[in-house]
Formats: sequence, structure tokens, C-alpha cells
Amino acid sequence: MMTDKRFVTPLGNDGIYCLDTAAWRTHRPVMDKDKCVNCGICMSFCPVNSVYFEEGQYLISYDYCKGCGICAVECPKKAIGMKPEGGK
Amino acid sequence: MAKYTAMTGNTAAYNGAALCRPDLIAAYPITPQSSVVEGLAGLVYGGKLDSNFVQVESEHSAMSVVQGAAAAGGRVFTATSAQGLALMYEPYFRMSTLRIPMVMAIATREMTSPETIWSGQQDAMSVREAGWIQMFCESNQEILDMIIQAYAIAENKKVMLPVNVCYDGFYSSHLIEGIQLPEQAEVDAFLPRHDEYAYLDPAHPAALDPLTPGELMMKYRKKHLEAMQEAKAVIEETDAAFAAHFGRNYGGLIEEYKTEDADVVLLTVGGMSGTGKDAVDAAREKGIKAGLIKIRFIRPFPAERIAKALAGKKAFAVVDRSVSFGWNCGPMYMETKAALADADEKYCSFSAIGGLGGADISFEYLLGCIEKLEAKKDQPGKRDTVWLMD
Amino acid sequence: MNYLDVLKSTKNVMTPGSSACQGCGGELITRRVMQIAGENSVYAIPPGCMAGAGVDGWNFSNGCSAPIHITLLDNTASFMSGVSEMYQRRGRTDVNIVAIAGDGATADCGFQSLSGAAERGTKMLYICYDNEGYMNTGYQRSSTTSLGSSTSTTPAGAAINGKEQQQKYLPLIMAMHEVEYCAAASPSNMPDLVRKIQKGLEAGKRGFAYLHVFSPCPTGWKFAPDQSIEVGKKAVASNMFPIWEKENGQFKVTVNRNPISVAEFVKGIGKFSKLTADEIDAIQEMVDRRYQTLLHLAGE
Repeated sequence: MMTDKRFVTPLGNDGIYCLDTAAWRTHRPVMDKDKCVNCGICMSFCPVNSVYFEEGQYLISYDYCKGCGICAVECPKKAIGMKPEGGK
Repeated sequence: MAKYTAMTGNTAAYNGAALCRPDLIAAYPITPQSSVVEGLAGLVYGGKLDSNFVQVESEHSAMSVVQGAAAAGGRVFTATSAQGLALMYEPYFRMSTLRIPMVMAIATREMTSPETIWSGQQDAMSVREAGWIQMFCESNQEILDMIIQAYAIAENKKVMLPVNVCYDGFYSSHLIEGIQLPEQAEVDAFLPRHDEYAYLDPAHPAALDPLTPGELMMKYRKKHLEAMQEAKAVIEETDAAFAAHFGRNYGGLIEEYKTEDADVVLLTVGGMSGTGKDAVDAAREKGIKAGLIKIRFIRPFPAERIAKALAGKKAFAVVDRSVSFGWNCGPMYMETKAALADADEKYCSFSAIGGLGGADISFEYLLGCIEKLEAKKDQPGKRDTVWLMD
Repeated sequence: MNYLDVLKSTKNVMTPGSSACQGCGGELITRRVMQIAGENSVYAIPPGCMAGAGVDGWNFSNGCSAPIHITLLDNTASFMSGVSEMYQRRGRTDVNIVAIAGDGATADCGFQSLSGAAERGTKMLYICYDNEGYMNTGYQRSSTTSLGSSTSTTPAGAAINGKEQQQKYLPLIMAMHEVEYCAAASPSNMPDLVRKIQKGLEAGKRGFAYLHVFSPCPTGWKFAPDQSIEVGKKAVASNMFPIWEKENGQFKVTVNRNPISVAEFVKGIGKFSKLTADEIDAIQEMVDRRYQTLLHLAGE
């Protein structure tokens, strides 16, 4: 139905606009699972929703992580470190 | 059966709107439109009209609320005048460029300053490049009928544009005329219940109006202009279909009055057309072959029909109830001249400006215009702008 | 449900790759709102950081997996009034009607339409992410910019030292509209923010709900992106951004018995780097007075 409406009412419905924000990253958050107590604070504060919960633990996805470092600062156990991307 | 009654232009406007069963009405009071809003509120609050009535805090919000409701699939209505139209300009422009159909009545009024609340067409004329279809009415019956026609035009899939039904503030809005008030069933038969596509619906998620770069923007504008041209045929067809249902029609884009054998022609907009027709009759009694063209739609501008109607005539004057500041003439004169293109130099013509801020466009003024044309009809060329004042 | 369970169990409605800056408070708030409100919602995001970040779509793409419209900068609440009315009319009252707008679109040119929609009791949730300026267009001042802030239109100069006026306190103005729900929240207190979003959505089904959220802006305010939550915490701790709510006519303030000073809050934030001692005192005086007003309203 929308095909013949193109250039009539401006509509965006062909997929989701998405940038490769991972390319912005100079540092990546790396989680030390030995220190992690599964409190979930990193997930709650991640502005990009790059921390996810799977099979009982919090994990970091690097697909869109911008490397802001909030998770590393906010982690109460200092279990996340920011490591240089290094020549990626 | 239609009921024969008498009512003001504003009463005709709100009855016309109510007969179209709008899902939502949002409006803000402004002279001389206020009694349209009051009338609709009376119908809704009295349980006689099943519409959502939203009491807004400004015209900017009036147009915004109806825009939101129309984007959610509703048939919507509002009305305004002058400063209110100016205030709503931002969402007004967006309504047409989103290509969402709706109808708005404008009881036209002069723009301040000097401070004024009275009649004039400067408000509606000033927004004629905002992408809306705009038409002007002469009589109260025409106001009622054209609101009904306007929905049919706006919602036509070839058009998909909002429509302004304009009529002269006070002269039409507040004066009473006889009217055939159609039955609801008659209107329902002509204008089916609205079932418009909802652009904003979780059932089919879409971004309404994503950020659009220039290369694509060009395509949207081109389509909009094409729809405006396609609307010309739709306007004529709608008028014919309306005649089949109600036994009344108005000539579509323009109305011609005694033009067939005319040498000199007055072109008029809105309520002054009635006075103009009287002046034509009087001129003919004096032996002047006069005629009149009522410019009903100003957007799309009926260039072809005006050029055809003026073909073979000797002289014309366009009477504007507004001004074009940059051209030292009225806007419809400027556009009529543009419509005649190369043929323009064959005519004797002038722009007449009158009726600003509620001033009267009298019979004498219009007869004077016809006589002036008659005197100069064999000397082609543009004459100075005539100001219809003492 | 625990706030973490809420966040774990809800879908990311906003595009995963938005062009919001690193550490953006607005992005964090918008994601939380959209994931909690979900896809059975109609969204409006007027021009501002989140529109610029792409949430409203680009070309023929959407910027989220729900219906959304980039309203005008000044008509978000009134446009959504129309949408809400139609959804009520069609009996689709399950659909959330949600606006997410910056402080410019809310407190400045959008204030008239916001006030109108609130007064009418339009059934919707309106969220303001307040980064205290027009950050998307280059950090110009707004009416919520705090005194002495150096912005691109109120630079700290030799003749005039940043913004000359105190900020307009919008959430209290909205509370006085007798709305269904009104709250001030900060993403630094995530359990509180999540709860207030949930309450706002619920209240938005009964009437107008307004949520004013502190939105730290690393780019405009000039602090490191990883400090966003810390800045939020200090804003709350100093009462620069007190958190409270009003429902059923009752104010409830999250009481802060031992506030840190404004001087402590402004430390390390670039836009405040030229603040004079007098300006800090003036802000402190306003902050104390405002907080006392809130306590008084809450009967504390």
C-alpha cells in the first residue's frame, strides 16, 4: 500500500536507520568476570543498551558500543576496564 | 428532503462541517470566525454531533491537534481568520506538505496593521504558496456546499491535500441568507464515512516524516505540484457529482456570468461577485457588453479556464480585496496576467483594489470599473491600479 | 518487578546505532522510556538531540521499531493531543501516547502547547530530557540553563560572564497544572527513573503525565563522557536537580538531608569553569530556596 505513496506522504518504514557506532570507539570496556557480582548496574546505565543479560550473566556487546566508559566508572566492583582499541 | 432555512455564513459553515461527520474538531475563537466554533461546540456538547471537540489555547495548537488526529486516521475540521491563520502558519504549511487531507474554513479578515478586525482577503491570499487548495465562496449556500465538496476533493486519492473554504468575514460570515440544508443521509451518500489510513499506528510502525535530504525533497515537491494540477479535474468532477446529488453546482474552478458575448469582463473573488453580477446587469442595460468571471479556486490557479474565458474579449479588470505588496496591484490581477502569458498584450486591463479592512466594494465602484474598461477597450495595455475608494 | 528485571525483559525499541554523543544522557533516557513503553505506542520526538540522533528516521527508514513523528519544535503536546484523542475515540486505549522532548521544545517555544495539553488533561505521557540548552544545534542557552553557564549564546566574556538569569523551574509549573502525574527524575537514580516512567505511562492512560528528567550532556557541558552518571548523582546530591513526584495531589520529595554544595557540583564541568564566587552563592541561594519550597509542598 505504501509503495504508491512514495513521495506523497513522507514515511520511513523500510527498516531501521542504524549507524556503525562501534567505529567511534577508541577504548572498549572489558569485563573481568572474576570481579563481576552480577549487580546489573552497567546494564542499567549503558546509554546504548550494549550490556545484555544471558544465561545468568551480564555481557558486553561490541556491535554498537560507543566506548563512553560509563560502565567502567559506575561499576561498584571496578570489574570493567577500558582497553585501547589498538589499531582496529 | 433538504430543509429550506436561513442562516449566516458561519452557521452554514458549521452545519456543513457537521454534516461531514468529522472525528475531531479543534478550534480557537477569533473574530469573525468564532461563531463557527461556538456552533460546533453547541452541537457536540448538546449531543447532536459525535465528534471529539478539543478546546485549544491557540490556533497554532488548533492546527497541530487536527494534524495529529488526521495522522492517526481521523477526518478533522477547524476554522480561523487573519491573525489566527498567521499564528498557525507553521503547522498549516506542514499539513499540506505531509499530504494529509482536511478542511479548514477561513472567514477572511484584513491583516493588522493598522489594527483591524474587519473583512479583507489578505489573510488567505498571503498563504497561497503554502500548498493548500484554496477556494472562495460568494453565498452562504456555497459555503455549506463547498465544505462538503472540499472533503471529497481533499480525500480524493489523486489529490490528498488539505482544502481551505474561504468566505468574506462579516459580509458572508455574519449576514443571513436562505439556504437549502441537506439531510444527513444525502450527505452520507455523497461523502462516504471517513476511513483514512493512519500513518501513526503500532499495527504498521513507520516514521512519519523522517529527515529527508534535498534530492528526495525535490521529488516530494514535484509530486505535490503535480497533485495540485490533478486537483483541477477532480474539482470539476466533484462539482458535477455534487450537482447530481443535490441539484446545485458552481462551475468548478471558475464561474462565468454573461461572458459569452462580452467585450469587457470583471474578475472577482468571493462575496463581491454578487455585486459584480448586478453591475454587469446594469452595464448591459446601458448597452455595454459586460461579463464576469468569479475566480472560485485560487489554488490551484485556474489559468487555463481563465485564459479560455477571456479569449476574444477586449478588456478586463481584476478586483482584489487584498494587495500584492511587490507588484503595486492585487494578487489575482498579477496571476491573471500570468495566466494570459503572451496573449496579455492584446487586452486593455487594470487591477482594482477595494474592500480592505471592511471597506465596502459598492455597486457603483464595480459599475465604474466596467465603464472604465468600456471606454478604453480598444486601446490594449495595462492601466494604473484603481483604488476603489473616495 | 525489580527495575533490573524490567530492563532485562524489555526490547530495545530505539535504533541500536544512533548518532547521539558518547555518554549522552538523552540517549540513555530515551532508550529507557522506549523500552519500557514498548512498541504498542505512538511516539513524538521534536527537533532536538534525539531527532538529530536519528530516532525519528532518515530517508525511508524508521529510527525505532514503533510509529513515530518528528513534531514541530513547538507543537509536540498539541500534535499528540490529536493522536491521543483519535486513539481514545477508536477505543484503542491500550496504546501508549508518548512524547520525548528536550528542554527547548518543552520549556521555551513548546511551553504553550504543553501547558494547553496539560490543562486539558490529554491522556499521554510527556517526557522532557533537560540538558539545559539547545545542545543539538550547538549549546545555545534555553530558559532551563542555569545561572552563569557558558553557552554559545551566553559565552563567559569580559563584559558578561555567561547566562545572567537563574533557570526556569518547569516541573513545578507543570505540577500546578493539576495533572494526573508529575515527577522529576534523574538517570543517575535508575530504579527511581524506571518506576517513574512506569507510573507516568500508567497515569498517561488516565490523564496528562509529565516527567522532567535531568539529562547530563558531556559535549555541551564539557565533561568527560564517562562522567555523565556522576554529574547526575551530584546534581541530585546538591539539590541542583531535586527528585520528587506529585500524584493524587500529594507531593513526595526524595529527601536529601545532607546536600553537597553547589560549588562541589560545578567542579569539573566546563560550562561552569568561569563561575565567580558571587554567582555560585546566587545559585546556592536559589537551590536552597527551591528545595525548601519542595519540602514545604511535601509537608516535610
